[in-house]
Amino acid sequence: MGDPLWVGVGVCGKTEVRLHPAVLELERMAGDREGFLSFLREWARYSWRWAGEERYRLVFRVEAAALRAMREYLDSHGFTEVLAPIVGPVTDPGIRGAKQATIDFYGYEYKVMSSAILYKQYMAASLGRMYFLAPNIRLEPLDSAFTGRHLAEFYQLDLEIRDASYEDAMRVAEELLYHVVKRVAEEYGRELEDTLGRSLEPRRPPYRRLRYEEAVRLARELGCRQPMGAEIRWECEKLLSAYMREPFFIVEYPRGARGFYDREDPSRPGVLLDFDLIYPEGFGEAASGAEREYEPARIVARMRESGEDPAKYRWYLEMLRELYPLRTAGFGIGVERLTRYLCGLRGVWEARPYPKIPGIAPTP
Amino acid sequence: MTLEGLLARARLALALRRARRGAGSGWDEDYPLGEIVERALRGRGALYPRGYGSRVYGARVGGGCPPRIPVMDYYLVLAPPAFTPGRLERMAELFREPIYSDVSLESSIGGFRVRLPVATASMGSTAVASRYSLAIARGAARAGITFAIGENVATVRGYDRRLTRGHPSFIERALAYLEALEGPYGGLVVQQSVEDAYDELWNRVYSDPRLDPYIEEGLLAFEIKVGQGAKPGLGGVIRIPREQAERMRRKYHLDLEPGSAYATRYSVPATFTEDILRGMIRNMKTAYPRVRIWVKVGGMRDALDVIRVASEEGAHAVVLDGLEGGTGMAPKGALDHLGLPTLSMLAVIAEARRRGYTVDLLLAGRLYTGFHLVASMALGASGVYLGRPLVIAAAAAGARGVERYLESIAVEAQMLASALGKYSLSDLSPEDVAALDPHVAEALGVRYALKPWAPSGRGGGLAAPPERQVEPG
Repeated sequence: MGDPLWVGVGVCGKTEVRLHPAVLELERMAGDREGFLSFLREWARYSWRWAGEERYRLVFRVEAAALRAMREYLDSHGFTEVLAPIVGPVTDPGIRGAKQATIDFYGYEYKVMSSAILYKQYMAASLGRMYFLAPNIRLEPLDSAFTGRHLAEFYQLDLEIRDASYEDAMRVAEELLYHVVKRVAEEYGRELEDTLGRSLEPRRPPYRRLRYEEAVRLARELGCRQPMGAEIRWECEKLLSAYMREPFFIVEYPRGARGFYDREDPSRPGVLLDFDLIYPEGFGEAASGAEREYEPARIVARMRESGEDPAKYRWYLEMLRELYPLRTAGFGIGVERLTRYLCGLRGVWEARPYPKIPGIAPTP
Repeated sequence: MTLEGLLARARLALALRRARRGAGSGWDEDYPLGEIVERALRGRGALYPRGYGSRVYGARVGGGCPPRIPVMDYYLVLAPPAFTPGRLERMAELFREPIYSDVSLESSIGGFRVRLPVATASMGSTAVASRYSLAIARGAARAGITFAIGENVATVRGYDRRLTRGHPSFIERALAYLEALEGPYGGLVVQQSVEDAYDELWNRVYSDPRLDPYIEEGLLAFEIKVGQGAKPGLGGVIRIPREQAERMRRKYHLDLEPGSAYATRYSVPATFTEDILRGMIRNMKTAYPRVRIWVKVGGMRDALDVIRVASEEGAHAVVLDGLEGGTGMAPKGALDHLGLPTLSMLAVIAEARRRGYTVDLLLAGRLYTGFHLVASMALGASGVYLGRPLVIAAAAAGARGVERYLESIAVEAQMLASALGKYSLSDLSPEDVAALDPHVAEALGVRYALKPWAPSGRGGGLAAPPERQVEPG
């Protein structure tokens, strides 16, 4: 197919915003909300029907290749893979408006991991460089069924590095992504083009770093309504993603938009030492990471900002106090989103053979 | 007395007994239970004193002691003008003399359209408020005002399933209200205590398919409780049966009374700093972009700072609940002595408006008449926030009682506003209020009622005849 089929969807001044055709197709589908929902219901209800199709066999193989490539890269760079916890008294609360799943653990309420972030910090204390490749459950609000980027059940590669800065973590993230894209392009480049019309071009890092304020200004220039100080809206993130030609970072989000574990810059109050890695072509967020807050007193105040009771997080706070100062940085990268990007899919629900889509049940 | 009169009197006595049994406290003897019950029974009919035609009436001047806590009824009057250009304008639209029913009550509070600028207070985990919650929900929905579900309801009474006999679950209350809404009016406000956060109440609501259509319509708000009037700085307290206490052992602080079938359950008060509140609003805007954000504060000395932060962070409403605010349970020492009075919160509202804060501000704390609504709005409130009166109205006469009670507030507010020459409640302004005490006048920034107003000197288009002109003083 040669060049990917670029579609211009809007010209703002001199800038052109280009969405990948699959993203554009998703937009078209989601335009008719009822129709899209009944499509998703069918899709999830009878997933075995499409899971056997040639194109999805390729998708699953590409995903396996991506997982191999991630492990290959990390294992050769001093990381140790650790098996993740499945349940615990608390889990990652820093997930926009999504509900956690609970189980009855001998009379105690335990949570199913929405991410194992709280545990990877102490495994980084033990091993220095570590990662989990683990499933997560997040009962997302129903409107996230329309984004193409949210599943209630998904896998994520979550890594953490002791005595690292968020810049160190970003370097690992971009090298890791580059390695995966390169490997997949080598192994499946031709098939991806032939079967899915996807042409993958590995782009060498370093990728561009946009400070949060710059990203907001750029989103506004592109015509997206984005308040300064608030988390970047999905719509605006998609627009930024469509504007960029290669993966890029948005760094230093304002406090208030992120979980309590993203460290606030001590010399710049209100600025977090964190980042998102974003795919180009409108595919949106790839990874999210940060340097971790490790001062118990600051964490307690930040927990209150999310309306939380610090008593819930007692083991975590005790652990941080005993291992003080536990300076780490890391990130998590969603596997289905990566597969979606590599294969040029409409939604993450194409990257999972038994997708659990927010609000859609029953399914296999 | 006619037979009809006797019957009416009997009905009132019965309703009063129901209300007293159902919700009367015996603690604050001067709470106007009878007045509220009468309104719940007779609606707008209760706006006139009884015995029309056979008696003569006048203002009550209060021969007894002044109240310990300065209240609006005692210290404020409305100051109607003789010249009412606003009424003339309205007349030009109507081609007739405007009357009270021409006063528009429709407003927007905290991001919701309402038929009357009144919000139902967050309540409902104590037995009394819980028992009447469905009647209040339906009455509020039909009256087109907002309804609220207080902290601890989901945790104590159950989210889906009823955890306690006779007390509706969270979702029953939410749906009783939402399904009874008519037209584009109303909104559901949900509080979350620290203990509810354990169960992720807000996340659960936000991802609940039964509530999603209403969230999509913009009918949901989350209320951050910084404090409440009756016990600012203290958490919720209720007495619960012992076996229920066992179930909540891990979430709450409990005093298990030896030998008693009951336990006292304490919620922790949430800790706030300016930064925490700011961060919390930001977090909520990120996590719940389709939901309005309300903040409730008690009679606290830094309430103006709360308004400032809420305003700067783009919250939709701040509720200011004074010392006299109602509650289902609080220590006596707190009921009488902890917090600044409602009138002081009204002064905070007036000051906030002078400083240009535009966030919606709701006044709460022993408010129950149309006069309270009009005076509050004249000083800058966006509406009033009512709890106890709705519980009493529901106890006296169910959902219809709540509706009739609200009707009496609405009609009374229309009458008073029209007398001030204002045909929309949002046109009310501080000049419409005067204080009967110079200190109160100064605190609120309104005129002292006994000192004559200087002539405005504004004049009309016509000049007075030259020999009659008087210099404006």
